[in-house]
Amino acid sequence: MSTAKIDPILLSVYARTFRSITDEMSISMEQTTRSPILCEAKDYVTGLYDGDGNMLEQTENLPILAFSLAPVCKYIKDYFGDDLHPGDVIFHNDVFSLGNQNNDVAVFKPVFFEGRLVAWTAVKGHQADIGGAVAGGYNPNAVEVWQEALRIPPVKVVDKGKLRKDVWNLIFANVRLDIVQHDMKAEMGACTVGERRLLELLGKYGVASYDAHKQALFDATRRMMEAEIAKIPNGRYSGEGKVFYDGRHVGSEFTIRVDIEVKDRAIRFDYSRTDPQTNGFVNGTFTSSASATILTLLQMVNPDIPHNEGMVQPIEIVIPEGTILNAAYPKATTFGNHLCPPNADAIQRALAPVMPERVTAGWNNLLASLTTGIDPKTNEKYVDIGFMGLKGGSGAMRGTDGYDHIGMIDASGGVLDQDYEMFEQQTPHRLIRHELMTDSAGAGEWRGGLGVETVFEIGSNDTQLVTFGDGDFEPAFGLFGGCEGGLNFIRLHYPDGTTVVPKNKDLITGVPKGTIYHQVASGGGGYGDPKRRDRKLLAEEIRNGVISEEAAREKYGYAAEGTA
Amino acid sequence: MTLKIGIDVGGTFTDFVVTRDGAEPAIFKTLSTPSDPSIAVVNGLRDIAASMNPPMTLEAFAPTIATIVHGTTVTTNATLTGTGAKSGLLTTEGVRDALEMRRGVREEQYNNRYTNVKPLVPRYLRAGIPGRLDRDGVETAPLDLDAVKEAIALFRDEGVQAVSICFMNSFANPAHEQAAAKLVRRELPDAYLSVSTDLLPSIRFYERVSTTALNSYVGPKLNHYLDQLVGRLKGIGFDGLLLIMQSNGGVISPQLARENAALTLLSGPAGGPGAGLHYVRVHGQNKCIITDMGGTSFEASVAVDAPMIKNDGEIARHKIALPMLDIHTIGAGGGSIGWLDEGGLLRMGPQSAGADPGPACYGKGGRLPATTDANVVLGYLDPDFFAGGRMKLDVEAARAAILEHVATPMGLSIEDAAAGMYRVACNNMAQGVREVTIKRGFDPREFPFIPAGGAGPIHSCLICEELEIPLQIVPRESSVLCAFGMLMSELKHDFVRTFVSRLDAIDWAKLGAIIDAMAAEGARLLDEERIPEARRRFDVKLDCRYVKQYHEVSFVVPRELVEAGDAAAIARAFHAEHNRLYGYSLEQENTPVEVINVRVQAIGITDKPVARHEEWAGDDASHALKCKRAVYIPETKKFREVPVYDGHRMRHGNRIDGPAMIEQETTAIFVSASYDCVVDALGSFALYQKGRADLVASCIKDKKEAVA
Repeated sequence: MSTAKIDPILLSVYARTFRSITDEMSISMEQTTRSPILCEAKDYVTGLYDGDGNMLEQTENLPILAFSLAPVCKYIKDYFGDDLHPGDVIFHNDVFSLGNQNNDVAVFKPVFFEGRLVAWTAVKGHQADIGGAVAGGYNPNAVEVWQEALRIPPVKVVDKGKLRKDVWNLIFANVRLDIVQHDMKAEMGACTVGERRLLELLGKYGVASYDAHKQALFDATRRMMEAEIAKIPNGRYSGEGKVFYDGRHVGSEFTIRVDIEVKDRAIRFDYSRTDPQTNGFVNGTFTSSASATILTLLQMVNPDIPHNEGMVQPIEIVIPEGTILNAAYPKATTFGNHLCPPNADAIQRALAPVMPERVTAGWNNLLASLTTGIDPKTNEKYVDIGFMGLKGGSGAMRGTDGYDHIGMIDASGGVLDQDYEMFEQQTPHRLIRHELMTDSAGAGEWRGGLGVETVFEIGSNDTQLVTFGDGDFEPAFGLFGGCEGGLNFIRLHYPDGTTVVPKNKDLITGVPKGTIYHQVASGGGGYGDPKRRDRKLLAEEIRNGVISEEAAREKYGYAAEGTA
Repeated sequence: MTLKIGIDVGGTFTDFVVTRDGAEPAIFKTLSTPSDPSIAVVNGLRDIAASMNPPMTLEAFAPTIATIVHGTTVTTNATLTGTGAKSGLLTTEGVRDALEMRRGVREEQYNNRYTNVKPLVPRYLRAGIPGRLDRDGVETAPLDLDAVKEAIALFRDEGVQAVSICFMNSFANPAHEQAAAKLVRRELPDAYLSVSTDLLPSIRFYERVSTTALNSYVGPKLNHYLDQLVGRLKGIGFDGLLLIMQSNGGVISPQLARENAALTLLSGPAGGPGAGLHYVRVHGQNKCIITDMGGTSFEASVAVDAPMIKNDGEIARHKIALPMLDIHTIGAGGGSIGWLDEGGLLRMGPQSAGADPGPACYGKGGRLPATTDANVVLGYLDPDFFAGGRMKLDVEAARAAILEHVATPMGLSIEDAAAGMYRVACNNMAQGVREVTIKRGFDPREFPFIPAGGAGPIHSCLICEELEIPLQIVPRESSVLCAFGMLMSELKHDFVRTFVSRLDAIDWAKLGAIIDAMAAEGARLLDEERIPEARRRFDVKLDCRYVKQYHEVSFVVPRELVEAGDAAAIARAFHAEHNRLYGYSLEQENTPVEVINVRVQAIGITDKPVARHEEWAGDDASHALKCKRAVYIPETKKFREVPVYDGHRMRHGNRIDGPAMIEQETTAIFVSASYDCVVDALGSFALYQKGRADLVASCIKDKKEAVA
């Protein structure tokens, strides 16, 4: 180990520069990828690791990716051992070697300085297709990983600077869309951007200074995280969250159970009592589940904490293999990221009694749909991910109302609605309504975030509709006397007068033109006794029509002016 | 001799630059008067009159002014402080919440205490009106005029001052909006009215409704202010041309500003970028990075032949989709406070001590250490010569604040702590410059760097070293660059129409007619501004994208290409711009390109102050040497006695070796040990990396001759 002296000012410069490097890698991704889920929804993460695979910094655009890269870097380093060289580029997506989701394909690039492996740059992005039985990887009928995706355990696609064409072709011969080759090149490009800047930094300050300062940085961040954990009283706290329907067995129901142990400056999340894995695709991977745990905790602490190894050091996460949060080989896992909301529910419920000022009430869970068909005006195929319809309200917390129309906790306002007019250009549908939904928020001294109601007329015949999600059986929960939010639903009113209600994981085909699509993404849970809600605020909300007079009377005990 | 005055209202000072052809521009600063900023304008003009030789009365002086170009932040401040007009919105039934939901974004994803911004129009004043146009602008349900009347009645009862109208798909057919506007004009003649298709007839509903609502939010305030200003100027006998600065770097008549108040929303820093090019052209350059360091913020932008423009931006988290200069702002300024985070790391800003109480050294009760305090401790600021000696700085207060909040907790000496604050602040600003260069596809090393703002040139050497920029140009007017830039601005009117079509299947006649219509509108405005034909220019741009992409790229298209229907050449221009911005194009793949918007900018060329070129006065700068002072040298991390020069006495060709200080009344320049300095023909201080005298060859006599 190096013994270079720590310059406290240089430490700040390192911290800021690491962040600017992962930001720059992120910008490179935004600008060079082509698939909308990457360049528009920004479903990717860029990271910088030291030679041992410890996280130096990362830029994740969606919180669910907060911990999706870190575990696998160490795995890859051990996997190749001595066989790592300048110019190598490694691909990985395998969920049974610490990948988080099949379609999230990562690129890792080892960085050498003066002949020594000193760092890694890495990018992981959600690819539009990665093989498997169904285009896009979303296969509700899958029970095994091979029905979902091509498995890519760590593999060198570039060896000492030379592209292995045979390996490249083997991978992309199993992928449907050419755009994926392009977007994987974009990931490689972003890794090179990061490598270049890190080498500049090393050239300036030398490797001894870098070694010493990164360690000091981990220590500083660890101290920040420990200080946050120390605010929670020692003890063991338990909570539950529910998952409804595995996509195969109507009426099936599963429970996530967490036991959180806080001891001084360390915190342990133990999911041993969680229900076993399903025989469908509603299963998590260790990495996706641990990422959900970490993002929920991060929302309870100082939002300013740097995202490096020091942040995770005081946190231990135990998720036994074979549970719904960590499916055993070779189970299907595509729905794994969407187990974040019930996992977060379990954690909020467990910690509510001991950190009531930091937790939130329940967030509206995701219920999403995707419509595809042929636009009769252009005769071309369209695909629409209904972002505007799927985003409900967040849970309230002490002192702060929930955020309206923010969407599930794993995105936390990071995914934007389609623009209404662009929606009508790019699909044949006609938007009828997209508005905040009156009384959808759980009542409380601090109310939940409001949900939205979406209505549009489907403009193509033989339209296909895929649904996935939850929140139609159990509403977002309230806390400390706050009320629960409403339920989600998607309903299709056919021109012939019939109404079809898709299951929350379903595929509906042959939807005719003129069908009215009706969706509710409801509100978040309330916090505290609604009777204590500020009356002036209530009067304003009644006037604005987000709380009805009946609800104000019944739930908030509101009597019109002067009589309260 | 044409007298022109640029007036830039800031939070603390109102800046004036007075130019007369062939004379050195004169700089004046007066304290701002936030309750009615036009008072400071008149106060400053009085100071300028008094400084004339022989001194003049304000009333005798004002009629001699040919042009006043004025930048105001009245609209900006109203938006930032949430004090705009009470307004109502008429919009399509079913989408009245788009304005409030802002597409469902929460900017801070990990911060559950981060709340949504208050909507510009409260929900009960957002009326959803039945009536619908389809995506091609064809009416599918007639506009419900009774519903419009009902809403107007509500607005009247509620005493709204302004009304906005924005309907779905109106970009394709303004008929419904015009019908509703007619009713509003008739029934609420005193209300300020903004119609989305008058302001911004382009696709994207949220962008359009937000921009329209912003216009109504700030319109009444700007009108009130312009009433005051015009009244005062008339009162003192000014009858020259008054022009108002816009966010796009151009100027407009007060009348147009009244109708389109949102055009001024981000105009505060918009004067600077255009001025930058003026200073680098003498060095044979056509591009530069322009930065402006104020009390709380640091602004950075890039110009290549002209300042970079973007087609939308944000203010106070509200979207505004009007063309504006692409200026990146970060929370780093002289007032930025140094603090230790929970992990013990030193940070600077974004919290700021502002102007009041200001940094500890201002002696106005500030107890927290700011960047300016560090600059005092490091010797970069002479406590007795701040603002030309008009404000004494309290060194002891600066030291005490740094000792308590940074040095002691970090176990450092006061000097080392101050050096750390200085370094971290410079690092923050360097990262801000990366945003406008690397993110936009530019390599900062290829750009001369222009530091403006009183404190900018104290930090620019370290910023430039971090970014490996070898040349800096510090203009004489660097402390008032925005005000100077206003005098260099053209009249600019932007127009946009949505025209969705595949490039290879375009109806050229229709496109030509759309462009002609916009150009005719521009010509009408330039007529009103009495700009002769010879001084007009019409720039055409297309917003294109690859089919199924989400973001458009805006690029200039010569009019001849449209007339010739040369789709191939237009496609090539698009591929090239896409490649420059994003590092790739899909030209090889033959991916189809689609047009989304057509833009025309009508430009009226204004009279510019004629620049004064100095005669070469020899390289010896010793006549300007004031004294020696110990300052901190970042390269050696030690204090060292360096020569201090009086910038006002330095002349073209005068050369000094770094490290050194150069002081002017409103600016201090720190030449670090890595740079040398020479005064160029415009009187600017050109700081070049040691050994790179080739960059400033035109300022050095023998090199100059060699070049000639």
